Amino acid sequence: MTELIRLESLWKIYPVGGGVTALRDVDLRIEEGEYVAIMGASGSGKSTMLNVLGCLDRPTHGRYFLGGEDVSTMTDNELSEVRNLKIGFIFQSFNLIPQLSIVENIEVPLFYQGLPRHARHPRSRELAELVGLGERLGHRPNELSGGQQQRVAVARALANDPLVLLADEPTGNLDSHTTQEILDLFDDLHGRGRTIVVVTHEDHVAERTRRVVRLTDGRVESDRATSRAAGVPA
Amino acid sequence: MRAPYKVADVMRLSFQSLARHPGRSALTALGVIFGVFSVIAMLAINEAASAKSELLLRELGSDNIIVNAVKPSGQEEGASGGSGRRSVLVYGITFEDVDRLRTVPGVRRCVLAHRAQRIAYVSGKELAVEVIATEPAYADVARLDMTAGRFIVATDATSKQKYCVLTATLARKLFGPYDPLGEPLLIGGDVYRVVGILARLPKAMETGSDIENTIIVPLITHESVASLYTIIRLPGSEVREMAEVNQVILQMENEAAVERAAPVVRRLLQKYHDREDWRVQVPQELIDQQRKQARLWNITFAFIAAVSLLVGGIGIMNIMLASVTERTREIGIRRALGAKRRDIVGQFLTEAVTLTLVGGLLGIGLGQLVPTVVGQVLEDLDVVVSGLAMLLPFIMAVAVGLVSGLYPAMRAAKLDPIEALRHE
Repeated sequence: MTELIRLESLWKIYPVGGGVTALRDVDLRIEEGEYVAIMGASGSGKSTMLNVLGCLDRPTHGRYFLGGEDVSTMTDNELSEVRNLKIGFIFQSFNLIPQLSIVENIEVPLFYQGLPRHARHPRSRELAELVGLGERLGHRPNELSGGQQQRVAVARALANDPLVLLADEPTGNLDSHTTQEILDLFDDLHGRGRTIVVVTHEDHVAERTRRVVRLTDGRVESDRATSRAAGVPA
Repeated sequence: MRAPYKVADVMRLSFQSLARHPGRSALTALGVIFGVFSVIAMLAINEAASAKSELLLRELGSDNIIVNAVKPSGQEEGASGGSGRRSVLVYGITFEDVDRLRTVPGVRRCVLAHRAQRIAYVSGKELAVEVIATEPAYADVARLDMTAGRFIVATDATSKQKYCVLTATLARKLFGPYDPLGEPLLIGGDVYRVVGILARLPKAMETGSDIENTIIVPLITHESVASLYTIIRLPGSEVREMAEVNQVILQMENEAAVERAAPVVRRLLQKYHDREDWRVQVPQELIDQQRKQARLWNITFAFIAAVSLLVGGIGIMNIMLASVTERTREIGIRRALGAKRRDIVGQFLTEAVTLTLVGGLLGIGLGQLVPTVVGQVLEDLDVVVSGLAMLLPFIMAVAVGLVSGLYPAMRAAKLDPIEALRHE
């Protein structure tokens, strides 16, 4: 197993009202191919954790290695590039761009890689297929159901073949049936070797992962394997 | 490792975004449309005015003062009139006037022209023509071009044989495909021999009422002037009208002399004429007047252009700022998916420029109406919209897009991706 993510005594302090500490001295390692849930109550620091892991934010102290590369001191441009090449985001509210078609939404990361249209197209079609969106590729997001929109978002997150999929409450806006569908899709991706980190406060989502990291007041309170990890070397 | 962006890709993106609010986009482009239209009008008027000035200078000559006889509007009867049924209207410049004009300081040459309407006959064809009787120097001061043969010369006035020069158009009408040089032509009972063909007559000089069908003959001053009456036959009466001299071209020593002499010439004519049966044309004055008028319209259109482009620019900035706010989440998404700040700047800047591009193109389309619109108010200008007159305002429009799009684009790029993603 190769180490994919390593956080070393990571702190995040927001300079508001004399300083709000969101993450305190966090150490965390995630191996390639892991399926991890990050849990915690609101204010526990899990959103900050996601932002840091997603290279949207830089830690105040400590180091963050992603794929062996120290990303904690990178410039804004470099971080953009890391997000573009190594990270796949899935959001609670899908975050598709309304004026773009499904295919165009899936292609956005490739667009910022500078890939020409003719090179983007086959890839996005293939991904749409993979997440179970064979048709409706020319439609706009608002013409799809929530579950379908989240599938588009998953396809988009996979477009750049990222090192890690970062999902932020991915089923928070879905009904129980589509929640199961999306979680099945995650299982499937995990089965294919994808590394997935899910930030959630819902137990039934966390149960589907192999490992749960629980945050309280910006500290890692617990870090243990789930029942599903039994027998499966994580 | 990034391949360069395909401009077409970003442009398509802009069109997609603008197409979401077609009405809003159209209204925003309106300022640019009017701005571009006004700049086109400005440039077209400028071009037309300077073309007109050039034409006036070329046709009239900057060193000339031209005095034309003008038929007075009241139908007064002349002194030498006969019975009530046969009257003569005498007006315009007299030989006495000419003698006085010759004394104006700075005059180098004084060339006279007399006009009359006659019927020309040749091999069974007859045609109403305008005859200009003038002196050899006319060709020089009126800048006439000969296409064949020669102009009248001094000896023509005294020779027994009468000679004439035709305009090319008239030569074609009278002689068809045959060479008219040396051919006889019957004009009002006299036989003339054609010795030369003129390219054309200068229109601006008001050479005659029918400059297409003009014949030039030598001016014979000792001949009875009565032979050059123009006879107008009406039922029951016959009016003969004439001016002793229809046109005097004073060629001055230089342009400064023109300026000094023009008021003197006017005063002289005013003194001896109790009615306005003359008009003084000073090319330099005409040009100045032309320029003044053009400048006035230029200022008007420059003002409209400036206001339109400024308001258009502010409108674009405003709409782009609104767009940035509305699409904060989109910006956050794009940043999360790998867009750099400069990509966001590029996207919003392209959108602003696209707006002005469309506005500019529509403005150019509307600009095709400039000749019609401006033609209404500046009738004597031949207004044409040239390529340059379209290119320049187009570039200006794009510049407006760039300038007014920059601030909103920078603001969009400065947004914090996390905040932007959270934006509702």
